[in-house]
Amino acid sequence: MTFSSLILTTLTFGAMFSVLTLSLNLQYARGGMINFGTVAYFASGAYAYAIFTQDPPSGLDQYAFGLGLPWYVGFLAAGVASLLFALITGWPTLRLRGEYLALTTFAFAEVLHSFLLNERRIGNGSVGLSNVERPDPALIGVNDMLAYAIAAVALMLMTAFFFHRLLNSPFGRTVDAVHDDETAAQAIGKDGARIRLQVFVLSAIPIGFAGALYAMITTLVAPAMFTAELTFFVWIALALGGQKTILGAILGTLALVFFQEAVGAIPFESVRAAQIAASVEEVVTGILFIIVLRWQPWERFSRRTKA
Amino acid sequence: MSEIVLSVEKVVKQFTGLRAVGGADGLSFSVRRGDFLGLIGPNGAGKSTTFNLISGVLKPTEGKVSLNGTDLSGLRAQEIAGMGLGRTFQTPRAFPSLGVLDNIMVGAQNPNEGPITALLGSWRGGDAKLRERAESSLERVGLIDRRHDLVANLSGGELRMLEVARQLIRAPRILLLDEPTAGVDPSLQVRLTGLLRDLHEAGTTLIVVEHNLTFLFDLADRIVVLQNGGLLAEGEPEAVRRDPVVVSAYLGSENEA
Ligand SMILES: Nc1ncnc2c1ncn2[C@@H]1O[C@H](COP(=O)(O)OP(=O)(O)O)[C@@H](O)[C@H]1O
Ligand SMILES: [Mg+2]
Repeated sequence: MTFSSLILTTLTFGAMFSVLTLSLNLQYARGGMINFGTVAYFASGAYAYAIFTQDPPSGLDQYAFGLGLPWYVGFLAAGVASLLFALITGWPTLRLRGEYLALTTFAFAEVLHSFLLNERRIGNGSVGLSNVERPDPALIGVNDMLAYAIAAVALMLMTAFFFHRLLNSPFGRTVDAVHDDETAAQAIGKDGARIRLQVFVLSAIPIGFAGALYAMITTLVAPAMFTAELTFFVWIALALGGQKTILGAILGTLALVFFQEAVGAIPFESVRAAQIAASVEEVVTGILFIIVLRWQPWERFSRRTKA
Repeated sequence: MSEIVLSVEKVVKQFTGLRAVGGADGLSFSVRRGDFLGLIGPNGAGKSTTFNLISGVLKPTEGKVSLNGTDLSGLRAQEIAGMGLGRTFQTPRAFPSLGVLDNIMVGAQNPNEGPITALLGSWRGGDAKLRERAESSLERVGLIDRRHDLVANLSGGELRMLEVARQLIRAPRILLLDEPTAGVDPSLQVRLTGLLRDLHEAGTTLIVVEHNLTFLFDLADRIVVLQNGGLLAEGEPEAVRRDPVVVSAYLGSENEA
């Protein structure tokens, strides 16, 4: 892997996962909600995109639906799917406080995962849906990698803009009030559970879009791509970047993706060396995590640029 | 005589092992529109708990509370607030993430506070008007000079007044204040006295819990005295002040202190 392709890959996946980190940041730092099922909203988007765009089943296909619609319809459907999943999972749980929400969102994500694995009529079971349709990057006259890097960065910037607009408003003021002191907010007529649900559902929409983008990039959706590991990855990125700012969330994610891609790009002479490197990577990730949590350099940096 | 706006009927609040409100056979009292009711009693008598039961922060174990004839049993705190009931807390509850002015603006009932309006950006005109209303609320409680401050820089007494101002912007028809003068410096207290007189004259129904009896007996039309969660006495300030039961149970010890 060349250095420029390393940068491009980091940018693509870093920007794409930043969308998830930004959403978690909104839910957690501003809404006080711990979402341990992030991957499920991402998966809803990816599967919705695949199902809406793929051709009807034929031959050995076990899936039942393939709508064969254009990619942009699939993309919108991904946002809607994630929104609906957030509505269904948020409605019964958002009266609960933090820890319970963490448990229920985690459980919902596990349920979705095993549903996709076992219900073949939706996503072809463990095999997943392959050859997912995608727009032709030649459309904008650049190669695949660059096109998806641009798309991911654009999605990230739009998400940041969307959240910024949402929060720097009377709505954001009410969200902060509910987060600070729900009882006091109720005393001025604010419905905490309702406002939390609004934040939860709105912040799920970009996660769905990111899922669609992921499906386009990999041209594959399969249950194995959407495990709890992805949720924890995003939480680590959020912890790295600090929860206070939008910029911190983005930098944390880019750093984590860069680190993983860089380690993955080191050429190894033998399988044994690669195995050692893999375990070293985990140890180093852990150490890095502790160091960053202790000194929070990104958070300092983003605070300084904000001031 | 004006109609009853608030009635507390045989209300009991049982915490594990403690009957905080209720006394022998439940607490009952009622308030008429435009009344200024003083609620007094020794520490632990159940005054703040009574406020929590009226405003829906707590639900009664027995009995019921009605506002304008509506039974509040099934209603949540924010719905009761939406019916025109305002309250402050004994321990001031500012929103630390928000500045002083935003702490007041957030109190208003605001048609522009939805997420769609936020995304469309169509809230700015309405917010400018809201800001003026917030400034006038701050003016009324004497905090206008602090409008650009962080709430962290406010004293305990100023936080209390901040909470009053946050209720003022909602223009509640019935307002409950829990120990509004505690920790408030004398000049702000004078302002508070004037403010409560104005609200009373404008027809707002007021219920005020207060340990500063000179302050309260001057303003209130009627006093309810609680002791151990039960009603000890009720009547006009002068009558209550002379009631031997009250004097021995409460005022006596207070005067010595
Ligand atoms: N949430 C609660 N749980 C248990 N006991 C409580 C609770 N709130 C108040 N109490 C108790 O109820 C009694 C009445 O308290 P409170 O209503 O705060 O009295 P007051 O405001 O008259 O000083 C006190 O003994 C207090 O300790
Ligand atoms: Mg009290």
